[in-house]
Amino acid sequence: MRVPRSERILAYVILIVMAILVLVPVLAGSVTAFKPQIIWVSSPPTWIFEPTLENFEFVFFTRKGWLFLRNSLIISIGSVVMALILGVPAAYAFARFRFRSSKALMQWLISLRMIPPIVVGLPFYAMFLYLERGLGIGLRDTFPGLIITYQTFLLPLVIWMMRGYFAELPAAMEESAMVEGYTRLGALWRVVLPVVWPGIVATAILNFIFAWNEFFLALILAGNRTSTLPMSAGTYIVRTRVEWGNLFSVNLIIMAPIIVLTIILRRQLVKGLTFGILE
Amino acid sequence: MRVVLKDLVKRFANSDRAAVNKINLVIEAGELAVLLGPSGCGKTTTLRMIAGLEQPDSGRITIAERDITNLAPKDRGLAMVFQNFSMYPTMNVYDNIAFPLHAVKMKRGEIDGAVREMARLVNIDHLLGRSVRQVSGGEAQRVALARAMVRRPQVFLMDEPLSNLDAKLRVQLRTEIKRLHQDTGATFIFVTHDQEEAMTLGDKIIVMKDGDIQQVGSPHEVFFAPRNAFVANFVGTPSMNMLHGTVSRGESGGFRLQLPGFDLSLPERFNRGLENMTGSRVIWGIRPEAIKLMPEPGENCVSGEVELVEALGSRDLIFVRVVEQLFGVIVDALESVAVGDTCHLHFAAGQMRLFDADSERSLLPNSL
Repeated sequence: MRVPRSERILAYVILIVMAILVLVPVLAGSVTAFKPQIIWVSSPPTWIFEPTLENFEFVFFTRKGWLFLRNSLIISIGSVVMALILGVPAAYAFARFRFRSSKALMQWLISLRMIPPIVVGLPFYAMFLYLERGLGIGLRDTFPGLIITYQTFLLPLVIWMMRGYFAELPAAMEESAMVEGYTRLGALWRVVLPVVWPGIVATAILNFIFAWNEFFLALILAGNRTSTLPMSAGTYIVRTRVEWGNLFSVNLIIMAPIIVLTIILRRQLVKGLTFGILE
Repeated sequence: MRVVLKDLVKRFANSDRAAVNKINLVIEAGELAVLLGPSGCGKTTTLRMIAGLEQPDSGRITIAERDITNLAPKDRGLAMVFQNFSMYPTMNVYDNIAFPLHAVKMKRGEIDGAVREMARLVNIDHLLGRSVRQVSGGEAQRVALARAMVRRPQVFLMDEPLSNLDAKLRVQLRTEIKRLHQDTGATFIFVTHDQEEAMTLGDKIIVMKDGDIQQVGSPHEVFFAPRNAFVANFVGTPSMNMLHGTVSRGESGGFRLQLPGFDLSLPERFNRGLENMTGSRVIWGIRPEAIKLMPEPGENCVSGEVELVEALGSRDLIFVRVVEQLFGVIVDALESVAVGDTCHLHFAAGQMRLFDADSERSLLPNSL
């Protein structure tokens, strides 16, 4: 369809204004990450300077940024892997079988994504506390503890996205394999999963982004041993001052993998996202 | 191998009517049996129960005397071709055909031989290296056939495998399936809603409706000796002309039939079936092929005006208005009948059918 010129111009104007609103603070901040401390907050702002990596050096080594990066990677990858292991078979079941209250369960799953994290965070904190005191199972400030907690918002997304992919395939695909000598699991593994593989990749990446950016649950449930990158960013805002250059260099470290992943896989991401919505 | 269904019942949770209602059926070894019926008649459900893809609520299924009712699909030793799915999209044609052989852990060399042989049999050996995206619909169903045959099963199940193909290809593949049946000597169970396909393929036709078997018989039997009005109406294109009428006694002792606007004398073979039916409502049926155009009016002959002419090629299907009834009649195209012509229709006495108006059962003793 051909869009009239005036409408296209209007669309571009709106998009450019929005882009400026969103991008300028990010860009200005990112520039600050490369400024020496002396001109972090100079007024008027300094735009021409010799870029330096001293902020990165400081947050990465002096303030143990590498440790937080490691923690973030372990928690994000671990929780995505767990969400896929649990969620992909669940999604297949939702797509293929009608069972008692399967519809209600799907709706309940999506409702899990609508609740604010504090509703989940505090009960988990209380549960972990009871487990620790009552049974001696320590989950506070551990990787397994955080990975389990993250399932509350990752699993519903995995199930919703993957169910869309499975539902698109004809059931005859597995049935054919089942008649030809395979079990249902064998058919799922050898026939169906290879077909939905791009969907699994898109789902994994989207979930990784959510887990990577997560702040609130980590704030409640993580501690010294498991602090994540977003939490470490918070430590540069203290009562007396904001360490702008350090803060923005942490931000850049947080954003970089997300931006790279999104650019590489933007097509699959859009497809994966619309699947969930249209379903 | 002989396939026997005993008192088979299947209900689905979302419906109060049984999808398959306690059916009994014997399909002899080496037979090509066709399950025929409109959509929702239970034919596909029946086939899926034989395949093991649906579990019956009650009843038994045996293949060659072996009870397979509770076996997993993979352990039944069957092959199945589906309507809307024919190939695994991540594998090429070769790997598609080889796929069932990997399940039985066959050696690589043997697999190669078997795949090539099957591909030759259905004329796709030039496609083996192709990606499945590069093959047409007809070729895809050939791949499905090859994949079904590669394990040399003794029972083939086919769920409307030709329905998604265009008309010409459908006829071509139909012939090929018939040939494969003859070459393999296996038992074929074929599901279709297309009565022409059923007639041309089947050794035995099983007509189903609402989960019940209406009639089992050869193509000739279901066409010429339908057990009830449903079979009579469903089998044959163009379909049978059917009218409600009332039976009465004729002067000479025979029976007559009062139809809207005219009456007919009924042939003697109905006498036994009509013994206590004087005054009863019946359904009278005659196929469009059994109506002849006469030059003059006469006995068992009615006149009407041609309302519509459909060209079928060498023959025309004309629709003749007789009072309130429109009769479909097959005539030779060379007779060049035109809309508005007056025709005298003669009904071949030997091909009239009568059915009880309530039970819809045939009023003829079971014979051709």
